[in-house]
Order: sequence, then structure tokens, then C-alpha cells
Amino acid sequence: MRNSTQSADIATLQIVANHFRAASESMAYTLYRTAQSTFVKETEDFTIGIVTPEGKTFSVPMDYGATWYPGLDYGPAIDMLDHYEDGDICFTNDPYSGFLCTHTPDIHMWRPVFHEGELICFTVGHIHNTDMGGAVPASLSRANTEVHQEGIRFAPSKLFKAGVLNEELLRTMMINVRQPDMNWGDLKAFTGALNTGARKIHEMIAKLGVDTVKRAMYDVMDYSETQARALLSSMPDGTYHFTDYCDEDSAGGYPVRLNLTLTIRGSDAILDFTGTDPQLTSSLNVPTGGNPRHTLMLVGIYYVLYTLNPDIMVNLGMTRPFTCILPEGSVVNPQFPAAVGMRSLTCGRLRSLIFGAFAQAVPERMPAAPAGSSSIVNVMTTDPKNGRRVIAAIDPIVGGGGGMPMRDGTDGSGADGAYLKNTPVEINEAEVPVEILRYSLAPNSGGAGRWRGGLGTVLEFKVFSPNTRITIRNRDRSRFSAWGTLGGKAGVASGSVLNPDTEKEVSLGNQDFVVAGPGDVFRIWSPGGGGRGNPLEREPVRVLRDVQKGFVSEALALSDYGVVLKNGAVDVVATDRERERRMADAKQAGFFDYGTQRDAYEATWTKAAYSALMDILFSLPVEWRFFIKHEVFRAVEALAPAKRGTAASIHEIFERLQLNYPQLRRV
Amino acid sequence: MTFRVGVDIGGTFIDFCFFNEKTKELSTLKVLTTPDNPGSEVMTGLKLAHERMEIAPETISHFIHGTTVGVNTVIMGNGAKLALFTTAAFEDVLELARLRMPETYSLMSFRADPLVGRDAVFPISERIRSDGSIARPLDRASVQAAVRGAREKDVAGIIISLINSYRNPEHEREVKRIVQELAPDLFVFTSTEIWPVIREYERTTTAAINGYVHPKVEHYITRLQGALKKLGVLGEPLITKSNGGVMTAELGKANCVSMLLSGTASGVMGAAFLARNAGIDHVLTIDIGGTSADVAVINHGEPHYATGEKVGQHTLHVPAVAVSSIGEGGGSIAWVDDFGVLKVGPESAGSTPGPACYGRGGTRATITDAFAVCGLIGQESIAYGAISINPELARKAVSEIADKLGWTVELTAKTIIDVALSGMYLEINKLVARHGIDIRDFTLLAFGGAGPMLAPMLARELGIPRVMIPLSPGVVSALGGLVADIRNDFIASLYLPLTEETLPKMAEGFATLQQDANTWLRNEQKFEGPANYLLSADMRYAGQSFEIEVPLDSEWIANNNVEAIRDAFHAAHERLYAYRDIEAEVHIVNLRTVVTASGPKPELAIAPLVEGSAQPTREAAVVFDGTPTTAGLYLRDDLKPGQTFVGPAIVLQSDTTSCIPAGFKAQVDAWGNIQLTATEA
Repeated sequence: MRNSTQSADIATLQIVANHFRAASESMAYTLYRTAQSTFVKETEDFTIGIVTPEGKTFSVPMDYGATWYPGLDYGPAIDMLDHYEDGDICFTNDPYSGFLCTHTPDIHMWRPVFHEGELICFTVGHIHNTDMGGAVPASLSRANTEVHQEGIRFAPSKLFKAGVLNEELLRTMMINVRQPDMNWGDLKAFTGALNTGARKIHEMIAKLGVDTVKRAMYDVMDYSETQARALLSSMPDGTYHFTDYCDEDSAGGYPVRLNLTLTIRGSDAILDFTGTDPQLTSSLNVPTGGNPRHTLMLVGIYYVLYTLNPDIMVNLGMTRPFTCILPEGSVVNPQFPAAVGMRSLTCGRLRSLIFGAFAQAVPERMPAAPAGSSSIVNVMTTDPKNGRRVIAAIDPIVGGGGGMPMRDGTDGSGADGAYLKNTPVEINEAEVPVEILRYSLAPNSGGAGRWRGGLGTVLEFKVFSPNTRITIRNRDRSRFSAWGTLGGKAGVASGSVLNPDTEKEVSLGNQDFVVAGPGDVFRIWSPGGGGRGNPLEREPVRVLRDVQKGFVSEALALSDYGVVLKNGAVDVVATDRERERRMADAKQAGFFDYGTQRDAYEATWTKAAYSALMDILFSLPVEWRFFIKHEVFRAVEALAPAKRGTAASIHEIFERLQLNYPQLRRV
Repeated sequence: MTFRVGVDIGGTFIDFCFFNEKTKELSTLKVLTTPDNPGSEVMTGLKLAHERMEIAPETISHFIHGTTVGVNTVIMGNGAKLALFTTAAFEDVLELARLRMPETYSLMSFRADPLVGRDAVFPISERIRSDGSIARPLDRASVQAAVRGAREKDVAGIIISLINSYRNPEHEREVKRIVQELAPDLFVFTSTEIWPVIREYERTTTAAINGYVHPKVEHYITRLQGALKKLGVLGEPLITKSNGGVMTAELGKANCVSMLLSGTASGVMGAAFLARNAGIDHVLTIDIGGTSADVAVINHGEPHYATGEKVGQHTLHVPAVAVSSIGEGGGSIAWVDDFGVLKVGPESAGSTPGPACYGRGGTRATITDAFAVCGLIGQESIAYGAISINPELARKAVSEIADKLGWTVELTAKTIIDVALSGMYLEINKLVARHGIDIRDFTLLAFGGAGPMLAPMLARELGIPRVMIPLSPGVVSALGGLVADIRNDFIASLYLPLTEETLPKMAEGFATLQQDANTWLRNEQKFEGPANYLLSADMRYAGQSFEIEVPLDSEWIANNNVEAIRDAFHAAHERLYAYRDIEAEVHIVNLRTVVTASGPKPELAIAPLVEGSAQPTREAAVVFDGTPTTAGLYLRDDLKPGQTFVGPAIVLQSDTTSCIPAGFKAQVDAWGNIQLTATEA
């Protein structure tokens, strides 16, 4: 925190901040208006920013774009080029060059802004390109095992050098990607946006003076830091542990454990991710390079800070009070050349981890877990009418928000999935040869609580052509539920099934890819949000209203909420009696309710057993860790249930494995 | 039959604008609103006009009214209790909406509750496919059950919205028929009769809003019709619409959605009229009131239209004049946050208690108070003496902020103005980037009570070189009603690729729309004069999720000219989004027809220009940009067309004060507008 800032500068900070934001918003609107790819137009998977000469993000737009990058540090990538001049436009899409880019489809760009020969700042941003080449269309697959399969990678390079296009470089990109025109269209749109930003900065310098602009970019970060520190200071000092899981670490694999120890001391916080699984031989790894303030690790923090103080100025300053500890060779700090394409799935769960830790630090101000799903259903089929091949995104599968301190979680969507938009049933049916049989909320899916978790959604559709391929990217939360807090219950997990309620019914579990044929019906439901507070304390009239709306069944009203309904009304006497009888037990409930599937899993994988496994895995060379994890898991499955769950049982298994693999060395 | 009257209701005042068709003179009148008794101020105003201005009710040929009853009903949440009938398995259409929440960084963001509770949504067993064919016939028993359910909920009306009804409305019509048979006492609207557009959520919520406000709007209009008749005003009153046009009040009783945003739309139409009249084609209009500023873009003399505009916390998906609302107005409150940063808004003192300097109980400093401290307003009383400015009260309020910052009151006032301007700068920049326009080609046209106070400084901030301040900035909305065309929109979703084979279907679709439009104009609106039909289509490249409305030439349709239609789309796409995609398939999503018809337009009197500078009434000590200076104080009524003066200057008139800093040259044009031009680059 710099102390040199005069109070006059602080008081007028809003003026420069508004000008900076006007520059970033103008860039974002320009990009949104001129880009071509659906990633920009539909899911707004792009960012815009302005960074200091050292690469620190000090201004981002709030109206458009992804919510993941206000803490992005361009510094290491900027430093990889040794000279800048006016008109340069630089880019990289390599997750291992300075840990700026986080998977290959993202092209990050930066443009220096000079004033009278002096470098003032960079206008920056990224777009998710539809394809960057590699093993599979769109460059992303859970099955990829090293980054080389994820497409062509460019180390930090100049696309434009002093305003002149580097055509050789562009040609190289174009012959390596599957939709070159679209990539080039988006790059042009991006260049326009970066230039718009530069023009706005020049206008600002003309109006406010270059010294003010140069100083203000640090002032707005200091201000954001001060706001973040004020929030941390308002929280009790303490250490809070939280664990959450991704359903699978690879197709059909075992869960990924993510572990966090949050320590708050005064206005500082340490996020220690020790206890998180070793890096995976799949593409779910999160590339951070061990940067203690890597933006991907702090997305949950942005949400927490913004939720607790919506006036917070969103920029890199808000990350300064936080320090992450990211074990080398783990999911959150993988070594080259680990594949990272599907890191967004893991990032979703990393956010849950942070929400869980802060739910303990400030329980009175935090909601229960949101559904935590952001998968998107895509269909590839042929139109039976004309043989036309159709590829289309049908709908995002998001799920409900967590119960809030003063109201129910939002139904259908919410919290960190709130940015996604669905496609109308009528548009889907007009564009894609499918018939949508149901698109509704999923009754009974929200976690019970004083404030109920938001309901998930149900989407069910019929397809008409052979070899129709349905993909559900980022599929998760079909096993481990959104947790409830303060006595509230976990939400219902997600699921999907082919041909429901027929003899041909097939449960699909966490599968993210299905092949369907003519007449097949695919049903998928998203997870419900976690409940907050003791459900027996929810006003009976709210429970009644939920029953009348069809959100909660009468049976659940009784079993979860202790509300007895009779002829469409609350039986007050019977309800009081029922609740009184159960209140003592309910008050015994722990702070978190994780749902039955996680409880069952953790009966086998107790803390002791998992710590033993972690100690073993992290003592092995990186290339062995994922393999041995799977071997141990398989061996545990073979154990009699009574023998599971102890550290000793894990050590025993590992000793046997060492006999099988004498070449295994410890590091 | 000499007078046309435009009447617009605002938060504090109801504004009357009278146009004398013989003398071509405009005159205005302001009456305080009576929120508890909407409509009675109309009568008060007309009686006053009779008494003071000798405008007898029977000399009024056109009475054009913008009512806020509908929009207030939505904002206050006191509309009709409704039931909604949907296709079975799609009952949650209003709950799901489009999933996205208003704030994406918050874990606790939420939407407003739907206007129909989920417990009053009932399934109808039926299904129409996307091509309009029937997948499952309508089950009458399910309608009967739904009506029984609605009865139990004690609703006042029923909304029917079925999947794919935009393609085939037969089932909706049949359900309506059955409902009317079973429950003749309930009002019923189908989604397709309100706005038959593809996208079930948008269509359903629009129909629901229509039903929600219907009883109150109908009641209001019926009372208005009766009262006008009693006063002796002949002829059917007209109601202003969100699309900037007018329709007969009688039609407004059923078609309520089309008038909900008429207040802001009329302002833009009035401003567009004044600008066009003064020969100005590219205008950014800004209407600044107590709590917000409404900004619109007029390009080539025409306002932009959009769907999806906000009504309270709900969105309305019928065509409306596109207006962006900024949460800053003259009453926005200044405050200092916990870290010592000075902020302005979004909290506002509104019209009650209003800024501290109004002396009506407000104690917290507002933007208006900052202007009062600087001596920029309050040099004389304003608003027919209804409000007087007390600079001492403003000083007291601003000094509380100054004490927190350890600053002088003057510096604090200046900084409050700067913070407010920077917030508006931010919002207007977004609008400019969204439209892809070059702001230097535009004129900022300021109206509303606080518009002329802020606009010159805002123009300087934005780099807009010209500002226009109309003769009566307080009644531009009322004027907008006076000059509006009769106008109605018709839509049919087509959703087909643009090919040779599609053209006959387009021709057929446009023929039906034209017929509908004609029926509306002649039979319902009962208008006999000449009419215009504007054809357009919403088009997009296959796979895009949003459409562009492209005006079409009826010749192209008649001559099967696919190429011309396609080219028009490519060109429109390139203009808006900076590229065209020659290879891509083009889809036609909707066909639209707008019918417009106008009565004789008021022609404003042109005054002869006089040469020379205007003489200020006196010099006033003011603070501009934090620097004490003297400004010429002018009375608007004394300014003659042709006269010039320069900033710093203050122009006083009954409904507003214009604050013009140094660096602007002012000239009064032939219509009495003040035209400002920046003299510094």
C-alpha cells in the first residue's frame, strides 16, 4: 500500500476511475459489437482490461465479458518481448509462457500506449477462439494428456509490429486452425478494440494531464486493495479448512480432491491449497506457475468481495491481501507439459472451495453453495428433412443459487453461473432437428433450509437421426452436491439419462459425451443449490407456498421441513408437534451438510486415509502420481468396507504397489 | 377547433403544451401532480388553461396524452392478479426467464418475481411443432381444469401462451374461446394477439405485463374519456405509445403494453421534431430529471428503436424508442465512502423531499445543491414560483460533505459536479461504443428540468461540440405527443433461410401484415387520411442469436429480388458490426410492418432574426469549474432570435436554468432555441 497519495487524490478518485472504466467499457462494447465467434457473442468468453507498464490490471469493464481476469498480471508475458513501440500488438496463447494465458483457445493480446515517447500503459484482453487446432475440434477434450495435443501455441509475439501485420506468423496460425476466417475476424475485432482503448487513454491524458493518469492507475489499485483489506479486517482472525471434489479426474475416473486452508490475520489472508490432488493425466489441470496471486485461483475471492461490498472497485488491487500456496506438481500448479484445456471445470470447484472457507469465516454474510455447474449441452446431428449437418449449443446446465442470509437461492441459475443465458425452446426447435419435451425447474432439487437452495432445471429432448452426438462440456456435480450451511441441507446432484421411464433407460452418470439414435430421448437435470439454516425454522407458510408452486412435494414438506399439510393448508398444531419432536436432533447438525454421496465417499476416503495418500503421492516423481493414485483407488475398492478409511490401509496398499513397480523412486 | 394539446405526466409536474393552429404559437402550462388521484390534474390543467390562457375546451381539436398509469402499476407492483396457461411441461417459462441474472459478480444477485406466481400457472395439454403442425391436439378437459384452478386462485384475468404459437395461433385462440365460454367475467389475452414473436419467454412476459396493467389502464382511460367529454372536449383522445406514435385512447385499453414507455419515447420524439425543425440531423438527446437521465440517439433525423427495454425491473419486448437510462439526475445525492472517496448517487432525493435548496425537507447535498452553491442556479426563482432555491440550505448540505473532506464548500461543490459528470461520461461512452457512432458529428439536445443545467458542461466533457437548448425544455415530452404520428407495429415470425423459395412466403406474410395494419388503421383507429407502410425484416446469419432489423423495399418483394434483400442485410450488418459474411446463409426471423399516418403537423412560427448581442439583465457572481467569475445573467423571455452571447452565462426561464461555461458561443435560432457551439477545440 502506497502512502504517498494525497487525500485530494483519494477524494476525486471516482472521476479518474470513471474515465478508466469508460475506456474499458468502450473497448468491450466495441469488441462485442464487432467480433464474430459465438464464444464472444453468446457466452461472452472474452475480457478487456488496461494494465500498468508492469502489466498489472487496473481497470476492467463490468457490463460485458468473463468475470475471471480482473487480477490478471501481464508482467511476465510483457517481459518476454524486449522492446515496444507505438503500433505494436502482441499476443500469446501458450499456457506456459508467463502463465498469462490459461488454455490454448484463449488468445491474450496487449498493445502499448505511448505519450510523447513514454510508455503509459497497455490496453489488453483475451478472446476464446473456437479452435486453435490440436487433437480434437475446438481444441478441448478431457482426454487430452499433454498440452501439445491442445493446438498450436504461440509464445509472446508481435502480431503487428509498429502497425505492420506480421503475415508470416498469421499464415502459420491460419494453416493450423480449423476455422481460420473466424479467428482472423475476431483478431481484427480485437485489434479495433485495443486501438479504441488507446484512443480513450489519449483523450484522458489531454483532459486530465499525463501525470494524473499515470498516478491514478496506481491509486485505483490501492483503493481496491484498501476496500478488500477493510473487508478482511471485518472478519474474525482464524483458520478455516474446506475440501470439495470434482466428480471425475478423467473420463470414468476417480474424484479430484481440492483442499484449502484459509488463514485470515488482520487484513491479510493466506490460501493454502496443500492437500489438493497431484496433477492429472487429463486436461483438468489449472496452470498457475505457482504465482501466489494467480487470477484463476482468486475468482472465488472476486465473488466473495463483490458480494460483501458491491461498491468494490474491481481490479488487481483487490488480490494484494491474498497469498496462495500452490504445491508444485499438483492440479493447481501442474508442471509442463500437463494438459490444461478443461481447467474451467476445476476452476468451478475451486470457487466452491473459497465460498466454503468464507462461509465459515463470516457465516452471517455468506450464502450456501451455489449449484456449481456451468456445462453446456451441444448437439451434432443431421436434419432428417434435408440431410443438412447441424451443430448447435442447446442450453447451459447451471442450477440454482445457494440459500442467502435473507432469501432463498435463485431458481434455475445464479451466483457464479449467473452469466449464462439459455436458448429459447422455440429457437432450438426452429434451428435444430430436436423436439424439446420438457424445459422446467426440477422440483425438490433445492437443498432444504431456513432459506431454501435454488432449484435446478430439467431439459429433455428427442432426437431424430442416427449417430446424433450429444456433448456436455464441463459436466460435474453429478456425484458431489452443492453443500448446505448452518443446518441447511445439500442440494440434489445433477444427472442425465437416455430414454427415461422406458425399458431402454440408461443412466449416464457424469458422462460428458453420448451417442443417440432416432427416437432416443435425452434428459439432463442440473444440480440444486445448498440450503441455509435449519429447515425446521422456515416459516410454514413459505413451505406451503413452495408446495403450491410445485417446487417442493408434500412428502418433502414433511420429511425435510416438518410441515404437516392438510387440505392445502398448514396444520399448525401437527406442524408444531412434528418440529418440536425433531428440533433437538436438527440442532445437532454440523455446519456443513455435504449430501449422502459425499458422506459415503468420505467414509472410505477419510481425512486420515487421504492424507496418507497425499503424503505418498507427493513423495513420487510427477509422472507417477496420477498413475499411483488410480492404482491405490482400485485397490481400496477391492478392500472389505470395514478395512477402508485408515492411513494404515493406504500404506499397506502402497507397499504392495512398490513390490510391483520396483523402478518407482521417491523424490 | 383551434388548439392541439399535448399532456405529459412527470414525477413532480404534469406538463401541458398547447399549439394554436391559427397563430402557430406554442404555449405551456405546468400543474403539480396528484399521485393519489391520477387524472384529476388533467382536469385542473384544462380548467386553468381556460381561465388563464383563454383556451376553451371546445376549441381543442386534438387531445394527446401520455399516461404513466401503466408503468407506475408495474413499478409499484399493484397490478391485476393473473393466471397463466402454458403448454404442459413448460409451466416455468417465467421463472426460468433467460437464466442470466442482472449482476454477474454477485453471489446474491436475483431477478424480480414474475408478475404471475408459479402457483397460478396451469398446464394445457397440447403441442404445436416448430413448423406449425400439431403434435398433440388440444385437450379441452385440460382447459377446464386450468380454468377451475384459476378460479380457486381468484384471479382477475388469464394469459394464454403456448409453445410455437407464433407459428400457429390456433390452439391459443381455441383456449381463449373455451375460457370465455367458461369464465366470461375474466379478461383474457393470448400471447400472439399481444405480440406474436418467436421466443416463448419474451412473448409470455410481454403478454403478462399487458394483463397486469390492463384493469388500471382501462379504468383510467375510461375516466379520462368521460371527464373530457364532460368538459366539452370533442373528439376521441389519443394516447402516446412507446414506439413514439399515438393511438386512440380506446385502443389503449386492451393494448396496454404498447404505451408503457411512452413518457420517455415522447420526449425523444419531441426532441427529434425540434432538432429536425432546426435542421439538425444527428442528435444525442438527454432528458435529465430528478433521479435519472435518459439518453437517446437520433441518427439522420430518426430515433433508434429497440425491444427489451426496461419497465421497472421487467423487460418489455415490443418495439420502443431506444432510451438508455443513467441513474443520475439533479437530485442524486453526494456522499463520502468509508475510505474518503467522494461519490454521487445512485441514491436520489427525488422530487420529495428533493434537493436541500428546495427547502422541502431535504438535508443531504445533491447535484442541484452543488450548482446552487456555485451560484449557477437560484439567482432568481424558477418554476412559476412553485419552487424557490435557497442557496443557504444548499451551502449547509454541501458543507457537511466539505467537513468530511476537509475542503472548502466551493471546492466540494465543484468536485460533486465533476464526479457527476464523469459518471454520465462513462455511461454515454458505452452508448456511443454500442452504436459505433462518432460523437463529434452530434449535437447534445438537453431537456427536462435539469438538462440545460448540466448539458453544456457534459458536452465539454464528452467532446460534443454543439448543444441545443429548446425554447421550452420542460415540455418537450408533451410536445412529443403533439407532433407524433399515428403508428402501430405488426410482426410475424417466419424463420426461414433467405432463398428463392422463401420469397413467396415473405410476400404472403407481408400481405397479411399489410391487411392487419390496414384493418387496424381504418376499422379500429378509424383514421381516413393517407397512410405509410414501412416494411422490414429481422435477419441474421445462420447460427447467430440476435437479429438486425433491415428496412425492405416493397419492390424487392414484388420482383422476387433475393439479391437486393440479401445485400441490404449484408450492408446493415457491416454498418453495425464492421464485417459481412458473404458465404453464410442468411435467415429471416421476423417480418415487420409499421403503419404510420399523420394529421397536419404543427408548423412552428419562424421569427425574424435580429442582429447583435443579447444584453444580460445583470452580472452574477458565480463559480465555474471551481473558479469565481462573473457570468451574464439572461432571461430567456427577453432573448430574441438571432441574438448571440458567450459563456460564462446563465439563462433563466420558468422551467429550467441553463448553465453555460466559458468556451461556448450561444446563438438564438429562428425558433427560439439556444444553439451553443464550442469555441475551444
